Amino acid sequence: MENETIWLIPAIILMAMAMGWLALAKPVHWKQVEAGKPISIRLQTMGIVTLILSAICCLRADHASMAILVWFMLIAATAFSVGMILSTKPSWLKCLTLTWLPLRIFSKH
Amino acid sequence: MKFTNTRQAMAWLHTWLGLILGFVLMVCFFFGSLSVFDREIDRWAIPDTRFDPQPMPSFDNLLIDVFERTEADIDEYNLMMPIYHNPAAGEMTPRSELPADEYWAYTTHRDPVLRMGIGFRVPHPIKEDEHNHIHGNMTIDPRTGVNIPNGSLKIGSDWFYPLHYSLNLNWNNIGFYIVGIAAFFMLVALISGIWIHRKIFREFFTFRKEKSSRRATLDLHNMSGVVALPFHFFFALTGLIIFAAFYYLPVTNTMLKPLHNMHEAIEAKATGLPHERSGINAPLASVDQMVEEAKSRWAARDMAGDVGFLMVHHVGDANSYVSIYRAGSDRVSLVGEGIHFKASTGEVLREDPPHSTAEGIAEFLTGLHLQHFEHWFLRWLYVLGGLLGCVCIATGFIFFTEKRKQQHAKNNSQGSRIVDSFAVTTVTGIVIAAVGMLVANRLLSSDLTNKGEWEKWIFCIALFLTFLHATVRSAPVARGEKNPAWQEQCLLLIVLSVVAVIANWITTGDHLIKTIITEPYWAVAGVDLSLLALALVCWKAFLHLRRNSETLTTSVSNAEAAYGK
Repeated sequence: MENETIWLIPAIILMAMAMGWLALAKPVHWKQVEAGKPISIRLQTMGIVTLILSAICCLRADHASMAILVWFMLIAATAFSVGMILSTKPSWLKCLTLTWLPLRIFSKH
Repeated sequence: MKFTNTRQAMAWLHTWLGLILGFVLMVCFFFGSLSVFDREIDRWAIPDTRFDPQPMPSFDNLLIDVFERTEADIDEYNLMMPIYHNPAAGEMTPRSELPADEYWAYTTHRDPVLRMGIGFRVPHPIKEDEHNHIHGNMTIDPRTGVNIPNGSLKIGSDWFYPLHYSLNLNWNNIGFYIVGIAAFFMLVALISGIWIHRKIFREFFTFRKEKSSRRATLDLHNMSGVVALPFHFFFALTGLIIFAAFYYLPVTNTMLKPLHNMHEAIEAKATGLPHERSGINAPLASVDQMVEEAKSRWAARDMAGDVGFLMVHHVGDANSYVSIYRAGSDRVSLVGEGIHFKASTGEVLREDPPHSTAEGIAEFLTGLHLQHFEHWFLRWLYVLGGLLGCVCIATGFIFFTEKRKQQHAKNNSQGSRIVDSFAVTTVTGIVIAAVGMLVANRLLSSDLTNKGEWEKWIFCIALFLTFLHATVRSAPVARGEKNPAWQEQCLLLIVLSVVAVIANWITTGDHLIKTIITEPYWAVAGVDLSLLALALVCWKAFLHLRRNSETLTTSVSNAEAAYGK
């Protein structure tokens, strides 16, 4: 696998996770997936951190001028995908709520 | 018109600008999206060109022969020669005897074929100080030098691509101006859209498809507009920047023409690249050696690369020089790192210096739009961005009619009906025209004279027929109901897309198992798969529309029963 692909795959996954967490930080979207209330600040922080990590992966994959375009376009692609998932199969985002962990990281019950 | 607040004024601006120019923008976005893979569509449309992309071939062994056997275009000669030629100075030179003044050849990492052109000099011109060129263009197979027949239309790069910036309306460049105005007002529509939306972040991911169709349409309009906002903004802006100097603000060719000519001469003196012919004949040294020298100089600058563009100026003259530019496959900025050689000796005359910050920004913005880079993932993201633009515009049209059609029905107004007919034409109609053109391409014989012209006519006729169909079937809209043309055109698209894939298989033998597994050829497989994906999307849309119309019919029947009709 080429170096570019090795870094682009985590960039896509991280961006999708970032968008998922940023969406779940909104109580209205959290309700579509889980009971209770989200700890929005934690979800937003995780979202922003993964956005930055995704940007770093983009920069490792490509020249900076190309990486910035990939990053912005990834935001569009993943945000749209998350929006579509929330409207059709919101339960798919359950994995991002981490409520299956013994620790309550993102939710208040 | 009075507005109680700025938001109301912005809403008015957004609605009406979007409606009037949205039809043009839809064409720009849809065919712009297709243009990302224009070379691949070309290969699908011209089966003789289905081989791997080739590097720039040898100039000395192949290109020079092609240049020497090429004549000026007959139509351009008949049109322009009487305008350029000065009868008082001598006889009009026959077309086949026009002397060449410049040669060029151009390729990209996606081109199996090579585009070439010649600018022929007019020996006795009326205006001596002008570039009186009559052109001869050709496309060749770079492996053999054989010409691709002129009748074969490169559907991707010579029809879909120019459609997105000129609408293929070339009379007085009217298409460029219409698209320019649409792009400018798109920027206004984006800003006014942000202003009226207000809940950009709160509703960033919101698409409530279970709500009323009007609410769901508005959600989709907002979401597709907002998530790809940087893409929409920068593509409208860079589209304007690319053509600004040539078409929208052409002061250098109008008001400042004398100054521009003087600047050209001074610049030539400063760079050492001759502006005029000397009138003394001179032979052409080995261009292949110049290419090798250019490549080694790029490698020394840590930017090894292939030749993308090559040009010989003032052919056959002592002032002749050869400019060699690097292909921009590995970067966004459209920079050629040009190296210029004296044609008669091969001596390096000049290496283009690094550009200033302002030039660098301009090159980045231009390159961002023209995407010469070899980054397949980003190319697909561009397609997605373009299609999101289409979704945004289409949902804007639908929201407009959904919001007003009941009111219009009560007032006996035809407004919604007219808008809906245009919306059907610019949403499903343009796609039918495009896919219909591909079907025609596969069904018309390759021996047909001017096959490309037939294909263009089929595109235009198909588009007109979809408009006619949408208009004839739009009567229900005037009663506040849905236009059945949406469903019917979706159904037609399913049929056309599948027929295109099958026709490609039958006429070329390139079916999907072959192009994906046994002899992978992704350019053709990609077009076939995209057509099948289109058929699938249309099938889903058709089912959704049918379900909606059935629900509506049931509720109307129930309501009529309740009121005892």
